[in-house]
Order: sequence, then structure tokens, then C-alpha cells
Amino acid sequence: MRLGRISKALGVAAVAALALSACAGNSGGTSSSSAAAAKSGGTATVVEVNAFNTFNSNTADGNTDINSKVAYPTHSSFYYIDNKLNVVHNDKFGKFEKISDNPLTVKYTINDGVKWSDGAPVDASDMILQWAVASGYYNDADATGKKGTSYFSYAGDTTGLGLTSFPEIGDNNRSITIKYSKPFADWEIALDMSAAIPAHVLAQKAGLKDSQAFIDLLKGLPKGDPKAPKPANAQLKKMADFFNTGFDTKTLPSDPSLYLSDGPYIVKSMTPDQSLTMVRNKDYNWGPTPSLDEITVRYIGDSAAQVQALKNGEADIVSPQASSDTVEQLKAIQGVTVDQGNQLAYDHLDLNFSGPLKDLNVRQAFMKTVPRQDIVDKIIKKLDPNAKPLDSQIFVPQQASYADSVKSNGSADYQSVDIDGAKKLLNGATPTIKIMYNKDNPNRVDAFSLIRESATKAGFKIVDGGLGKSDWGKALGDGSYDATIFGWINPGVGVSGIPQIFKTGNGSNFNKFSDPAADQLMDKLIQTTDKTQQNDLEKQIDQKIWASGYGLPLFQSVNVDAYSDRITGVKLMPNQTGVWWNFWEWAAK
Amino acid sequence: MVTYIVRRLITAVLILLGASFVVYILTAASGDPLQEYRGSNLPNVADLIKARTQLLDLDTPAPLRYFKWLAGAGGCLIPFAGSCDLGKNLAGQPVTAALGQAMTQTLGLVTAAIILAVLVGVFLGIITALRQYSALDYGVTFMAFLFFSLPIFWVAVLLKEYGAIDFNNFLRDPQIPLLTALTIGLVVAVLAWIISGGAVKRRAVSAAAAFVVVTAVLLYLSVTNWFRSPGLGPVVILIAGAAIAFGVTLLSAGLKNRKALYSALITVGLGIIAYYSVQGLLDQATPLMIVLLAIATVLVGAAVGYFMGGYDRGQNMRAGGITAFLIGVLIVADKYMQNWPDYFNNGRVRGRPIATIGAATPNLNGDYWVSGLDAFTHLILPTVALVLISLASYTRFTRSSMLEIMNMDYIRTARAKGLSERTVVMRHAFRNALIPIATVVAFDIGGLIGGAVITETVFAIPGMGVLFFDGISHVDPNPVMGVFIVTAITAMVFNLIADLVYSALDPRVRVKS
Amino acid sequence: MTQPTQDIELAAEEAERASAPAAGIEPVLEAKGLSQGQIVRKRFFGHTGAMVGLVAFVLIFLLAFSASGIGPIPGWWKYSFTDVSSLVNDGAPTVTGPFSWGEHPFGQDRIGRDLFAMTMRGTEQSIMIMFIIGLLAGLIGVVIGSLSGYFRGWVEAVLMRLTDVIIIVPLLLLAAVLGQIAANKGAGTFLGYIANNFGVALLGILIGCAAWPSLARVVRGEFLSLREREFVDAARISGASNTRIIFKHILPNAVGVVIVNVTLLMSSAILLETALSYLGVGVHPPDTSLGLLISQNQQAFSTRPWLFWFPGLFIILICLSINFIGDGLRDAFDPRQKKFNSKKAKDSRATAAKPAAETAGA
Repeated sequence: MRLGRISKALGVAAVAALALSACAGNSGGTSSSSAAAAKSGGTATVVEVNAFNTFNSNTADGNTDINSKVAYPTHSSFYYIDNKLNVVHNDKFGKFEKISDNPLTVKYTINDGVKWSDGAPVDASDMILQWAVASGYYNDADATGKKGTSYFSYAGDTTGLGLTSFPEIGDNNRSITIKYSKPFADWEIALDMSAAIPAHVLAQKAGLKDSQAFIDLLKGLPKGDPKAPKPANAQLKKMADFFNTGFDTKTLPSDPSLYLSDGPYIVKSMTPDQSLTMVRNKDYNWGPTPSLDEITVRYIGDSAAQVQALKNGEADIVSPQASSDTVEQLKAIQGVTVDQGNQLAYDHLDLNFSGPLKDLNVRQAFMKTVPRQDIVDKIIKKLDPNAKPLDSQIFVPQQASYADSVKSNGSADYQSVDIDGAKKLLNGATPTIKIMYNKDNPNRVDAFSLIRESATKAGFKIVDGGLGKSDWGKALGDGSYDATIFGWINPGVGVSGIPQIFKTGNGSNFNKFSDPAADQLMDKLIQTTDKTQQNDLEKQIDQKIWASGYGLPLFQSVNVDAYSDRITGVKLMPNQTGVWWNFWEWAAK
Repeated sequence: MVTYIVRRLITAVLILLGASFVVYILTAASGDPLQEYRGSNLPNVADLIKARTQLLDLDTPAPLRYFKWLAGAGGCLIPFAGSCDLGKNLAGQPVTAALGQAMTQTLGLVTAAIILAVLVGVFLGIITALRQYSALDYGVTFMAFLFFSLPIFWVAVLLKEYGAIDFNNFLRDPQIPLLTALTIGLVVAVLAWIISGGAVKRRAVSAAAAFVVVTAVLLYLSVTNWFRSPGLGPVVILIAGAAIAFGVTLLSAGLKNRKALYSALITVGLGIIAYYSVQGLLDQATPLMIVLLAIATVLVGAAVGYFMGGYDRGQNMRAGGITAFLIGVLIVADKYMQNWPDYFNNGRVRGRPIATIGAATPNLNGDYWVSGLDAFTHLILPTVALVLISLASYTRFTRSSMLEIMNMDYIRTARAKGLSERTVVMRHAFRNALIPIATVVAFDIGGLIGGAVITETVFAIPGMGVLFFDGISHVDPNPVMGVFIVTAITAMVFNLIADLVYSALDPRVRVKS
Repeated sequence: MTQPTQDIELAAEEAERASAPAAGIEPVLEAKGLSQGQIVRKRFFGHTGAMVGLVAFVLIFLLAFSASGIGPIPGWWKYSFTDVSSLVNDGAPTVTGPFSWGEHPFGQDRIGRDLFAMTMRGTEQSIMIMFIIGLLAGLIGVVIGSLSGYFRGWVEAVLMRLTDVIIIVPLLLLAAVLGQIAANKGAGTFLGYIANNFGVALLGILIGCAAWPSLARVVRGEFLSLREREFVDAARISGASNTRIIFKHILPNAVGVVIVNVTLLMSSAILLETALSYLGVGVHPPDTSLGLLISQNQQAFSTRPWLFWFPGLFIILICLSINFIGDGLRDAFDPRQKKFNSKKAKDSRATAAKPAAETAGA
């Protein structure tokens, strides 16, 4: 009896063992293969704040910093911008040149042998697509959006290429020639292939035969006219729809044509909201040669977490939001190099040309009370010991013309706080000034506190008009305040941004600054294609702005990068490309 | 019973509708999704505003928009139809995809945390109740409240600094100096003194024993470089197994029940045999296999108990089953430890195993054991953080529940009829004290998911908390709504389960049907 | 604790029990004349943890409110939390002993604001938020709980479903959305008016309106059982109105549960405010709160620790003291919770096989 039970139990056990071995994994003993990850060129892990979500960073929704940063090493372009804000041409990819000044005509040629990672050549069709996107040529939606169609969504500015007609294609489908109807100052950076979408893929997705069919389709379509909207072209609409959303993904698509690369790297794997890995594009030989075999991007929002990840060796390169404590912590880590420098973003104080500040004397008196040096000392100095107050409304110190402009633009009058001078200008008056700022930004809050402290001494009555992060933007220009502290981003390259802010009646001219002479200079500037002349005009505009008691630039934001000693070649970059600008120089020790 | 469940379900749906409506309106009122464009100097800002207005349907007033949203969300009820639509985020991507991802991450984190918190909390609650107003009671109460009062991001930063960075530094050269070993031994001895209670002599003995054992073990581990290539080995498993057998029997049946004790000990013997025989099989482990093995192990343990016979087979089977399970845990843990050097020296890990961020090492591609270790090294710190802050409520609740029960008449009766203290505590008091805890756990799950918001942010785990936080800070209503719905449904389901468990556990609670 | 206290307690309970059914007849007991309030007070004052907590809390309260002043009344500390002064000692704390505070005892932040002033202001604000949430949630919870527990029927059905609707949404998430609403209300609206004139009060009010459901449930449960008791029947028969029964007869008996739960609610309210400020939807600068201070300065954790530790210390102190007070109140109000003494239980039985301690410790 007992034996019977035991044998039964053994039988059950045997069956169970069989069943178990049947469901065992077949991947036995593979754990050693992953140890071979460290290959010859080495790897690096870069930390970014936001998570990647689309392979098309051209669109309004897709144009986030991380999407652009991933697009950058997976694309090649005619030029890149270096950390001195020069436009550097990449002749191995192709060349572009101005062949006529009147009318302004630019010819772009891509070299033979430059190809996408599926083997298709990078050619005129790709440039035509990028041109169609960046010019908004076919859009005929009117301002209300009720009639007409917007085809390709584009986050950038269409004014430049918007002046052009359909390009001429030549050199066996390798070149296009773009003709402008008016001179355009920023022609050099108008057509950027650094986030281009392959036209042949888009054509296929829209049901066209090949890229030639794509060119033929676009060539046959008229320029869109918002005043006379026409019914949408079905094929173009289909293509545009795919362009706008078809490349959105958080996981690696099963269709490799959605993430083609014509740059040094190609995306290999993605974990949603955690990481993305790029490996070398083996065909690539048309530009600077990278040395790392693999770059992994990890997303960490919290800057303290970034610092600790670097310290724990989980990350090699971080660029956390700068604060003096972060910098100090980074410097305290052994085996880590910390770089600090200026960013192109800067905070400034703008005075309204109305209300209590209508009078130039009052504005100037107020400007005399602003403790710019103190603000820099307390807010920025700990981050960057070399920080100085920003002394130009137009230039940043990275630009060669900054020093020149500062000498003559009149900023010398506002180098230090002059309470007596301010009192004299006020002549006994005690104007009440309401200052509006984003009270969720600690730098602005602190700048406000310091300005209030100082301006009160000269007799100003300061009212705290700080608003929350979702309100202050709406309040800009609505007249509910007398002065405001906020930030602009200087693009660093190009001049189109200047009239946006300073020209009479323009959208971003919030304090209603108006100077006919400056307006004229800006009209001229936007049509000047010569660099030296541009600089001359900009200096004159800078001077006019300072003379008008516009307000004061306060300081540039600080950029901090830190990288582990495993990695060499990381260099600071002031614009939004960040550390990525020279990724090909990164090397693992 | 069925009518009751159906009625509960219908009410649940109505409540969910009400809650989602309230939350939708609040979320819509919480901010302006167009704010980033309001002060923008982009030339095409009108286009961008138009596009976003269209994307989020901002022209429709919020109450009407809710019903449109609800129609889309209703699609989620149809399984496998792919018609689930919870709206799109600001980047134009569907919320459902992101939410699915985030849900797995969060639930993984929260499940581990809640199980641990309940186990530790209930244990501490019981011993503090049994030693009311002792040094131990005050100490645990103070620590529980202290952890409860600590802001979690503070705990997280500390855990990362000491638990990850310093521990990894230690692993580089895992030597424990004699002085450190002695200090740790001393600390443990003090703890043992406080915990053991009773006469001074008893306390002194347990403290001394703890001191000697802990110091010796630490020094042994240090000398054998155990932290680099850990493992238990059959000897440790045998000794630990015997201890487990005695402990389990003591708690579940009492040592006087020899049959139960023998079943547990036989199970340990079988476990040692199994240790050698399953090594090859375990090399090719899959999650399914581990689950099946676990079930088989428990069955074998129970079977041993059954065949032992005796007057109370149930007790034998319980002792055998629990022992078998614990031995199984030891064997699996040993297997994980065997794979540790492989993981440790992996080119992606580079000898710094405990992670401060994320839920996995990118591109690791390990087998079951290595990826298991990877998940462990990533989840351990956030889990500890969550456990520390949620410990207080369980400890306090168990304590007061236990105290109340210990004063009940039936406990007095049980004592009066001469039952041993163990039987009184384990059989009569403990089980009844557990009943109300079911409700607390159910309530807590919603709160814990909410509390995970900050933990996830600090540890860069892309769960629902991050989704929610991003949504709130970018004024992106649809992901926020998605998180609300998922947490609300989870809380709801657990409440329902708690109510059912309640009525099953406690015959006094009658189900109104 | 000591034996006599326990005897008094037991006697008091006897007195309570005896007095309930036979009102008007003086029970002949030693500890006569002890009302329920007196018993509770006695037990509460005998609870060491609670007393320490109470004293600590009162001290913090007085320090914070007197140092930074209330409304128009200025406090005694020389700096206000917005004053900027030049950096002394690179912002490090100047306190060297209990009576030599120096210029900036807790140090200064990067632009030279006094951290002591900010911490006091933050403590004041956090305590205010805590009380607003506690009182408001307590009020709503008690009203809803007692109405539904007393009247039952459709009143209960409606109110409890309402409670369920709110309770299934995690409080932190709900509060985050409410905090966002509070922050985004500009001038012009009614909420905006409150926000501009009463600062953080709006945040407290909104969260208070969301935090009541758990209390309502507890109060309802208490009412459900109390309304069946004989003394309620007696009151009803003698013609008392519903209002009178609720407020005069049932509520005083449920007050223990209410107070205990409100205390615990208040301690979690402080942590809630901390969490919200960390997420950027709580108190906004230039005003300040303890939560905001530590989340603003969390990066200073290892470099300028005083910015983090002082406000953090106050959060922990307040939280701990409130929790201990709540714990003491729980013990004091619960008549069933006599001290259970395992040692005594063991001693009372000659044949004790195993001490409870060993079992639990194994």
C-alpha cells in the first residue's frame, strides 16, 4: 500500500520533470555573449532630459530637443554649426554656393555615393522634399484655418524659403538650384538636411512608384495661395499626413525604412521612455568619421538623478540643468570633467514704453538702479566664475562682433548701480512700477528680488506682478504691467530673429518699442546677404535700442556639461544642439 | 452572492463614470494647453495654435469634450478590437500606448513594494502589540513615523548615495575590515538585546550570540570574497533548511507535533536532493518553468505531510508545503547568486551592479537569471524607498488591531482553557487581526500608485507617475486622464476584492444580496 | 506604565458604564465624578509620546508665528522672508550655540535671504495649510458622514456614492490637479481673488475639499452603530429633534474617532504639501513653505546642506509630533484599548509554555 503510493508519487514527479524540461528556454548558455559588448571603438552613454518619440523632428510636434539630437548623428548635411557659432561646410557630403546675388540664387549639389542606409542614393528628390517642407510652398490654408490645406507640418520659420519658386533640378538628379524673389540674409542656413526625411520612402508610403514620380507630382502642383484656397491634392495630402505622423514611435519600428540614416550612426534599439541605442552606419564615409561604436541615450529628468547616475557610472556624459549646487557636486566626483560656459539663452528686463515708464528719464532712472553685477554675482557667478552681465541686446559674447558693439552701444552708462543719478533723473517723483515675471523660475524670482531691493532705494515703488508658469506668457504685451523680466534665445546664427523682437508692431515686440530709424535699419538688414554689412547694421541697431531706454539684458544662462574620464573629446556648445555638435570627436579610452 | 457582485460591479461603473467626469473637468480647468505658444515669438505661431486646438479639440467646451473622450474610452471595453482611444498627448501620440507601457512598470514596482510593506509592517505591528509600551514598541513607532515623515525624494537621494554608489564602490574591493565587522556585530547585538525581551540573562545570551555570529559571518564573507562570487551552496541550504523546518513547524503546528516536524525535515532532505538534480534544468529557466516548479515544490511538500499521516494531516501538509516553498526560494536564490559574477562582469554593467536610474540596463540581452538580476538591481532601491514610507500605516494598523483583539473575551477564554501563548497569538488573535488589514491594503494601493509619482521621477522609471507628472507640467490633459482612469480602476478592483475577502474571512460580515 | 493609573482607568470605565443606563443615580465608586472628557484628558496626559509631541508642536507653533508675525502684526525676527541682505560667511549658518545665534542662524540662500526667516515663514504657511485642510476636511467629512450614517436610505446612498467617486482617485494626483488650478487662477476670478489675498489658503481650501472622504466613511460607520444604541432611542422617545440627537447625543460619542482621524489627516497634509511643491504644483515663490524650501534646495543637499536640513528638520518635527499626538489621542479615546500586558498575561498562568515574545520574535 505504502509502496504503491510512493511509486505513484514518483510517477507524477517524473511526468512533471518531463513537462518542465519541455518548457525550458532554448537560449541556454547565452549569457556569455553579452559580455562581448565592449568592442574596439567603445561605447558611451549620454543622458538627456526628454524621451525620444519620433524619427521626424521637422514637424511642429516632433521638434523637441531630443528628437533633433537623435536626428543629428543619423543624418548628414551640407553644413554644421560649431561651438564658435560658425557655419562649417561638409564638402564630403556635397557643396552649396551662391551663384548670383540678384536675384539671389543658391545651388546645392550632393556628392555621388552618398546614400541612405537602405542603399538608395541621397539626391535631389530628398532636397525637394525638405524644400517643400521648409518653404510651405503648397500650403494654402488661410489665417482662420477654416479654408484651404496645410500640408507638411513644420516647426521652423518658412519666411526664407517661402520667397523661392520651385527649384531647378540638375546634375543627373544630384543638384537643385533655388532662386529667391528677394534677397534673404540667412540664405546660408535656409536649407538644412540634418533632419531630412527620405523622399523615396515617403513616396512609397503614399503609393507613388519612386522618387521620380514624387518629383513629377510636386513639379506639377501650383504654389498655394491662402487668398484663393483650392481643394486639397489627395496624393500630396496623403504624403503630408504620413510625414506628419507616420514616423512617430517610441519603439523601434519593424519597418526599417522608417528610420533610415544617411549619417554616421543608425538607431539599433529603443526602450520606450528609457533609452535609445545607436550604432555605426557601416556605409558612411561622407563626413567626419566617428570613433565610438555605439552611443546610448538614456532619459533622466531629474538633475540630481543625472549627477548620481554619472557618479555611479551609469552615464558617461550629462548636461543637467545648471545650478551652483549641481556644479559643485559634479566637481566633487572623482574622474569627471566639468565644463561650464554660456548658453545662447539670456534673461533681460524690458520696460514698457507706456504708463509710468513712458518718460525716457524715468526709464533711464530705472535702468540705473538695476544691480546687474550683483544679479550676476549672486545668480550666475557660482556656476561660472567668469560670468559677466550681458552688454548687448543683439549679440552674445560668443559672436565676434559682441566686443565691438559693446564699446559703442551705450551700455557703459549702466555698468554699475547709480542711485543718485536715478534720483536726479526722477526729480523727486516716486513712480509705481509693476514688474511681471515667471515666479516658477527661481532665477527670475531672485533677479526680481534684487531689482526691487535696489530700485526702492531710488524712490521707485515696486509692485510684485509675478505670475505662474502658465500665466506669465499670456500676460506678455497685455499692458497689465510696467516692466517684465523674461528670457530670449538668441539663435546665434542668422539675423531673421532681430526684427521679430524689435521692429514696430511685430508680434514679439511686447513693450511697444518703436524707432523709425531702427525699423529702416532692420528692413535693410533682413535683405543683406553680406556678413560684414550685416554686422555693421546690427551694431547700429544695438546702439539705437540702448539709446531708447529699452531695458537691460541681464545675463546669459549657463550651460554645464560633465563627462566621465572614460570619454574624451566632449566640448561645450552654447546652442541647443548641446554636446552632440561634435559627437564624431568623442572617443572611449 | 452573484447578485451582490453584479450590483457591486454596476455601482462601480457608475462611480467610475462620475469620478472620470469630475477629474476630466478639473484637468481641463487646470491649465491652458496653448500656454507655451502664448508668449512665443515664432513666426508660425498661429498655425501651431491651430494645430494644437484641433489635436485636443479645444473648441469644444470641456463637459461636451468629456463625452467624446468617453466614447473613445468606451472602446477599451471591447477586448482585442484595438478600438481603445484615450485621446492623444501634445506630441500627437495616442495615450493608450504610453499608458500600457507605464502601467507594467508601475505595477511591477508597486506590487513588490506592497508585498514587502505588508509582510514587514504586519510583523512589526504584531511584535509591537505584544510588547506594548516597551523600548521596542517606542523604537519601532518612532522609526515608522520618522520614515513616514521623510520626504521621499530625500530618502531616494540618500539611498542612491549609500545604497548604490557607495555599495558599488565597496564591491570593487569587497573587504570588510575587522573594526567594521565588530561595529556591525555590536549594532546587531544591541538590536537583539532590545528585541529579545524578558530577563536580563536571556537578553544577554541572545545579544552575545548575535554579536558572535554576525561578526564571524561578516569576516568569513570578507575573507572568501563572497560579495564578488556569492552563493549559498548545499551546506548553507541544509542548515538554513533545518532552521526553517523548525521555525515553520513552531509557528504553524508547534514543536510538540512530531509528525509535522518530521514532514518539514523530510522536505528539507528532498530539497537537498532536488538542489543537485535541478541545476541543469535551471540553466535553461523561463518564468513559466519557475512558476511550475514552485507549484510542484509546494505540492511535494504537502504530499510529504500527507503521507506522514497522524491525527492532523492538515498541519503536516501546511508545515511541509511552507518549508518546501522556502527551500525552493533558497535554491532559486542560490542559482541567482551563481549567476552574479556573470552579471557583475558584464560589459554593460562594468562592475557597478546597483543602479540609480531606470528599470533595466539598456542592451543587456542576458538569459533568465542575468535579466532577473538586472531587474533586481534596478528595482531594489525604489522598492525600498516605497516600503519605508508605507510601512508606518501597516505597522500602526496591525498594532492597534492586534491590541484590540488581545483584549477580546475569546482570547481570555482561549488562555483560560490553557492553550499555549503561541496558539493563542497565532491561531486566535493573529488571524482575526488580519481581517481589517485587507481593507487597508486595498485602500493603500491607489495611494501607493499615487505616491510612486515622485519615486518614479527620482529614479527615472518611466511609469505612470512620470506620465502624470509630465502631463501636469506641460498642461497635457489626456495622459493625466489616462493615469487617473488606470489608478481609479485599480483602486476600485482592489476594494471590490477586499470586500469579498472580508466577507469570506469574517462570517459576521454578511453579504447583502 | 504604573499600576495605580491603570486602576483609575479601570475604575473610570466602570463609572462610565454604570452611569450610562442609570442616569441620575450616582454610582458609589471611588473615582466618581470623572466625566468622559476628564478620563480622556487623564489618559492623554499620561501618554509620554503624546506629551512630548504636544510640547514640541506648541513650541514650534509659537516660534514660527511669533518670529514671522501674523498678517499685519510684525514678528520679532529682524528679517522678513523676502529681505535680501549681503552674504555673511558665504551663506553658512552663523549659529554657534543656543544663545549665540549670530546674524543668520540658519544661513542664507544664494541671493542672501535669511533662511531662518524663510523657515519660520514656511513653517507658518505649512501649519496654516495643515490646519485649513484638517478643519475643512474634518467639517465636510463629519457632516457628510453623520448625515448618511444617521438618516440612511437615499441620503446615505447619494452621499456615499459621492464619497466613493472622490475616494477612488488617489489624493496626491487629485491634489496635484487642484494645485495646478490654484496656481493658474489669475486676477479677475473669485478664486483668483482668494489666491491673491490669502496666498496659500486657496491651496489648503481646494485640497481640504478633496481630502474628506476617508473621514466621512469612518464617521458614518461610527454613526451606524451609535444610532442603534439605547440612549439614542431614549432621546428619540423623549421627543428630541434629529438635529439635537445628532449634535447632542451621537456626535459627542463619536468625537474621539473624528479627532484621531483629523490629526492623522493633518500630518499627511503637511507631507502632501511637500510632495506638491516638489512636483511644482504646490506653493509658489516668492511665497514659501517648508515643502517648497526643501524641494528648491534639494540639489544643495550635499553642497550647502543647511538649506535642506533646517526646513527638512521642521517638517519631520511637525509630522512626528502630530503623529504622536494622534497616537496618544487614539489611545485616550478608545475605551476598549486597555493596556494589554503579555508579561502579566503570562505570569497569570502558571503553565505558560512559551512567552509570547519568543514566538513573535522567531
